[in-house]
Amino acid sequence: MNEDLQKRIQAALANPQNMGELANADAIGTVGNSDCGEMLRMWVKFKQQDGKRVIDRATFQSFGCETAIAVASLATELIRGKTAEEALALKPEELAGELGPLPPMKIHCSQLVEGALRSALSPQAETCVKPTESSQSPATSTAPTLLDSFSKPKEGGVKIQFLD
Amino acid sequence: MSAVLEVFPGAQRAMFRRYHIGGCSSCGFQPTETLAQVCARNGNLDVAEVLSHIQTSHEQDAKIFISAIELAELRKQDATVRLLDVRSREEFEAVNIAGSQLMSQDVMRQVMGDGSNTRPLVIVDHKGKTALDAAAYFMGHGLQKVRVLGGGIDAWAQEVETTMRRYKLG
Repeated sequence: MNEDLQKRIQAALANPQNMGELANADAIGTVGNSDCGEMLRMWVKFKQQDGKRVIDRATFQSFGCETAIAVASLATELIRGKTAEEALALKPEELAGELGPLPPMKIHCSQLVEGALRSALSPQAETCVKPTESSQSPATSTAPTLLDSFSKPKEGGVKIQFLD
Repeated sequence: MSAVLEVFPGAQRAMFRRYHIGGCSSCGFQPTETLAQVCARNGNLDVAEVLSHIQTSHEQDAKIFISAIELAELRKQDATVRLLDVRSREEFEAVNIAGSQLMSQDVMRQVMGDGSNTRPLVIVDHKGKTALDAAAYFMGHGLQKVRVLGGGIDAWAQEVETTMRRYKLG
């Protein structure tokens, strides 16, 4: 990741917006696969404004990487005041807002946000995030990840012997 | 990468903290890949710079630890300190530090999504080894005040809560 992008992501992460559950949300969307550590949930609340039903507020919880958190933070700000149709028309690169173009390996992060938004606003739509060729996991069989090391169940169970 | 990890066991943690590589399946690498190949497909990272970062990773790991005594003191001063226990459920149910939470996907989501990346988070394991991976994972996600209980709950049982039963895994 280039330094500029890293700085922009860090800036977004330094003051993330709209994190956490939104009480009384009108729509909730979840996308991703928590098994691989990437999941994003979005809550959306609408209001009536000028005869239109527009997004009053959107919040998110992320179980994904910092880029996904940064994109979700920006996207939830971006969609305020938009109708569901207008929000759904936004492309992943638009959702990333001031982060600018994301490198291929990070495109799936904005797709995750787009997927959660689509899941919330258009629940009948396909919400599974399919990796693109450029963002696909590089390995068919990766080395054990950090997540694996502390979150996978211990094989064969655990036998505890007290020392006293 | 397997050779790199053999020589520098903390390499994966170091790489995730700074470059977001190796944390989960989306940013993982194959054991057979070379460091140069991993750097090339991650935005053409400078191999020499990454290697230098890996070589100093053990120093970074050392800074993450907080001793049992220090943690006890910190908890007296700051009630917001969150203790996250990454041991197995069996171990957690056998002994745990009051107020700590057993790691689960729900708890992880809470940590990631509680709206703060500056709330102190201390990772607890049995002897202070596995917790380093968890700490690096959270740090790589932008959490800023992540520490590891040095020596794990075993040190806590010896230095702070001496009535706590110590154990070993059979």
